[in-house]
Amino acid sequence: MAHAALVSFRAPPRWRPKTVVLMREAGHFDAALRRIAESRDRAAFQELFEHFAPRVKAYAMKLGASSQAAEDLAQEAMLTVWRKAGLFDPARAAASTWIFTIARNLRIDLLRRERLMRLDGGDPSLAPESEPDAGEGFETRQDGEALRRALRTLPVEQSQIVTLSFFSDKPHSQIAAELNIPLGTVKSRLRLAMARLRVSLGETP
Amino acid sequence: MTVQHHPDDALLLAYAAGGLDTAMSLILATHLSFCAGCRQLVVGQEQIGGALLEDIAPVAMESDALRRVMARLDEPVTHEPHQPSNDNTPAPLRAALGHDLSQVRWRKMGPNLGYVTLYRRGPLAVRLLRGAPRTDVGSHSHRGMEYTLVLRGGYTDATGSYGPGDFQAASAELRHNPVADPEEDCINLSVTTGPLHFDNTVQKIVARLFGF
Repeated sequence: MAHAALVSFRAPPRWRPKTVVLMREAGHFDAALRRIAESRDRAAFQELFEHFAPRVKAYAMKLGASSQAAEDLAQEAMLTVWRKAGLFDPARAAASTWIFTIARNLRIDLLRRERLMRLDGGDPSLAPESEPDAGEGFETRQDGEALRRALRTLPVEQSQIVTLSFFSDKPHSQIAAELNIPLGTVKSRLRLAMARLRVSLGETP
Repeated sequence: MTVQHHPDDALLLAYAAGGLDTAMSLILATHLSFCAGCRQLVVGQEQIGGALLEDIAPVAMESDALRRVMARLDEPVTHEPHQPSNDNTPAPLRAALGHDLSQVRWRKMGPNLGYVTLYRRGPLAVRLLRGAPRTDVGSHSHRGMEYTLVLRGGYTDATGSYGPGDFQAASAELRHNPVADPEEDCINLSVTTGPLHFDNTVQKIVARLFGF
């Protein structure tokens, strides 16, 4: 079942972000998730649905899903948001990130069922199992608005690669071929972009 | 022992973005079970995904979508009972197998090698491979990519030594000759996108017979 593929968000880790600056908008969706978790608040759900379902649908379509499949995935994702709201931990992820991972995991799961036959007698959950430890990479939770600003300040050739990496189902080799640049260049631009995003967010690269 | 060999950033990002097929998602998710460092990188990449999701141009849902989903909110949810692994089989792999690694029924390929094919479509194959200590797989090159994740034990080739959690991406250009380390059986998860090409004629025939 779809829910088997969800990232399991467990109890908060020992480590906490040093600074959590919540933008009003981001905090707003966090609060809506909390209201769903605590009091099964349907108005809060409606708000989240209206904001995120059309975005999840757009994401799925960019990854190659038909309009109908994308519609189904978005509905299923929002249903999962309702069911799993209690597992959402605002210290770990922004609402948009949490919903993104739900949509991503559902997509992997759907691919398996639609295009690929079953692996031997199992129901694979292809999501990672453990919670991350602090230390490497990004802070556990970034302020979404700052991250979006950082994305917008990337050189265009880097942001193009980042966006194509997320919003197309093409492997990097194909992206390279279409842009008529070597695969090594795609990968180095990606590395530069990730390093820059970390710097923009005030971290040591 | 900590993990030494990792998927490159582009592959991790493709996993985080949801752009990989089932086979690659499985091997990446299983690597993440071993590797806290890569998990942390993926968490960062997922945040980029979240930020991009906010900025994406929305596509209108069908007019009755909200009503239909609201009607399903009270449906009972069946939870599958969670059965922990008895031998530390990584969760994504265990879910794919339906059981623990120690319960795999290996098919023999010669005295020292065992394998089981989890999935196959066209040139793409996902397998578990098991080599007795010191098993010499034989020098081979590749007709596609060969991705290998060590689950138990380890092996060594000209590019280095690989232990539990280590990930190797061997491209068509790489000719290598992996040999299982002497201490214990080496068990790997393997994804190949094309056949292996053995130098040795006998191995060539055996590989062909077994569909490698």
